[in-house]
Amino acid sequence: MGKFARLGFWLSGLIVLAVIALGCIAPLVPYEPADAVSYDDALVSPSLAHLMGTDEQGRDIAIRLVKGTEAFFLPGLMAAAISIVLGGLTGALTGYATGFFRTAVLGALQLLDTLPRLVFIILVCTIRDPSVMLIAFVAGILFIPTVATVIRRKVESLASEDYILAHIAHGFSPVRVLLHHILWLQCWPILVRQAAFVFGYVLFVETGLSYLGDYGVQEPTPSWGNMVAQVRSLPSDAPWPWLIPAAAIVLTISGFLAFGNLAARRGEEAVR
Amino acid sequence: MNRLLALVLVAGRRLAGGLLLLVGATFLIYFTIRSAPGDAIDAITPMGTPPEVKEKLAADFGLDQEPLAGYVTWLGRSAHGDFGESLVTVTGEEVMTAALPAFRNTLLLSFAALLVCQVLATLLALVLGEPSSRQQVLTGALYFFTAAPSFVAAIFFSQALNAGIRHFVDTNGYEPPDWYPIPIDAKSIMQYVFAGLMLIAGDGLFMDMFNTVRAEISAVRNAQFIAAIRAKGASTAPHTLRNLVVPFISAFAARLPLVLGSVVIVEYFFTLDGAGYLLLEASKQRDFPIVVGLSVLFTLSIIVMNLVADVVRAAIDPREVARNG
Repeated sequence: MGKFARLGFWLSGLIVLAVIALGCIAPLVPYEPADAVSYDDALVSPSLAHLMGTDEQGRDIAIRLVKGTEAFFLPGLMAAAISIVLGGLTGALTGYATGFFRTAVLGALQLLDTLPRLVFIILVCTIRDPSVMLIAFVAGILFIPTVATVIRRKVESLASEDYILAHIAHGFSPVRVLLHHILWLQCWPILVRQAAFVFGYVLFVETGLSYLGDYGVQEPTPSWGNMVAQVRSLPSDAPWPWLIPAAAIVLTISGFLAFGNLAARRGEEAVR
Repeated sequence: MNRLLALVLVAGRRLAGGLLLLVGATFLIYFTIRSAPGDAIDAITPMGTPPEVKEKLAADFGLDQEPLAGYVTWLGRSAHGDFGESLVTVTGEEVMTAALPAFRNTLLLSFAALLVCQVLATLLALVLGEPSSRQQVLTGALYFFTAAPSFVAAIFFSQALNAGIRHFVDTNGYEPPDWYPIPIDAKSIMQYVFAGLMLIAGDGLFMDMFNTVRAEISAVRNAQFIAAIRAKGASTAPHTLRNLVVPFISAFAARLPLVLGSVVIVEYFFTLDGAGYLLLEASKQRDFPIVVGLSVLFTLSIIVMNLVADVVRAAIDPREVARNG
């Protein structure tokens, strides 16, 4: 790993840590959107009183930025958990099993994979009460095939390795070898990469839909997406109310993607 | 002749597989509808829909029957291209009459954007060559900026464009809103060009494509048969190109689903006359037949793309036939 990649790893790790920290403290911050409105303080530029300035309704942007993490943090974690747990297990099974069972599971995975993700999420939102949790749940399910495929390839390439055969010859049960020695010890870098990717995807969908304004988080509850949507009515000499959340979205998605990739690369170097 | 036969066999198998996938995918879509909480028909129609319209809709979608029988009824109608009539968005019009022209625009936009993206990624890969530590500042920056969601990229783009235009062009007193992409004229091709650019620049598509393309080029260039050809003094270019066609088609086909997702949001941003815009508008107003019809079209296009990619690969590369035949 080069010097630059190491720098990227630490920087993106810092972003991931910061987002996790914000996501954890956000529920503890008392915030009542209606009380925060104060038209006298509208569009105050960043200062000591308002670190990131205020928006058109005079609401402090820094607090809304922190509270906005609530919109995607738990849903993102849930989607990542669903896809890596179920995707990891089905991937390991299909990499190991043979015969009809394998064919059937592979077929089901291929089926899930042909559904266009965002279109299917919108379909579900049309039918059911849209919420970010629902969106994240569907996203998590739809990412199972992606995770399962990379895990299956890894398991297939490992299954004939001498040391795995030695484990089995040693009398370890295949389930233990599969779950512990292969999935846990060998595949964790892949799972980290995929988890970060799915988390980033949920953030992308949540902010995108909140920006469009129908299925995401609704005003006055803050989401980075509906904060960016204020761009439509802002004067051009006061860009901070949309610029700051937009920058936060780009930083977070880039940070998570980069961290997933670089942590996985470090992990793969260490595993080998 | 033998090879042609093998190819036809592969195509037949792929077609059968594609049909099976289509049946499975429509089944999933149908049961998502059936899983609606409470009375499904109330959940999927706009408020205040007259009862006779509801009844007709329930009959069209087989909601008055057992789930499986209803699915067969609905699938039978859909197979004839009959997805019912639009409820609100384009009231009374056949779903396919409204959806197909819009979907054609969407497909054209997605394909063009994906193709340009692949060409640009290939050019960059050729210019940069093998990965080296000196490029990392450039690729790192590209990673960072292209990971932005396409709608965020589109906002930055139109803000910059509008600021530029205000400075350099006399807009004749007319001041478009800052966030709104110029030109306003919905019929203008520039809207589509901008939308295509945002598809390429956002959602991490470009660097994902770049990585794949560069790895494939490097794999073929460093292959032993290329070294052998070079040792014999022949030109390596035709062989390199021929061996790159198959992975390039795969890379293209694999990213279509991602682009078909991004295009929905981008179309809505630029208010293009496309399937993505229609889908979100219809979904907002609970115009259910349109949403379902478009979901099926999107799914179908992904299945067809994979099918075509498989057959073309088999036609170009005999090893694909041997592997799958």
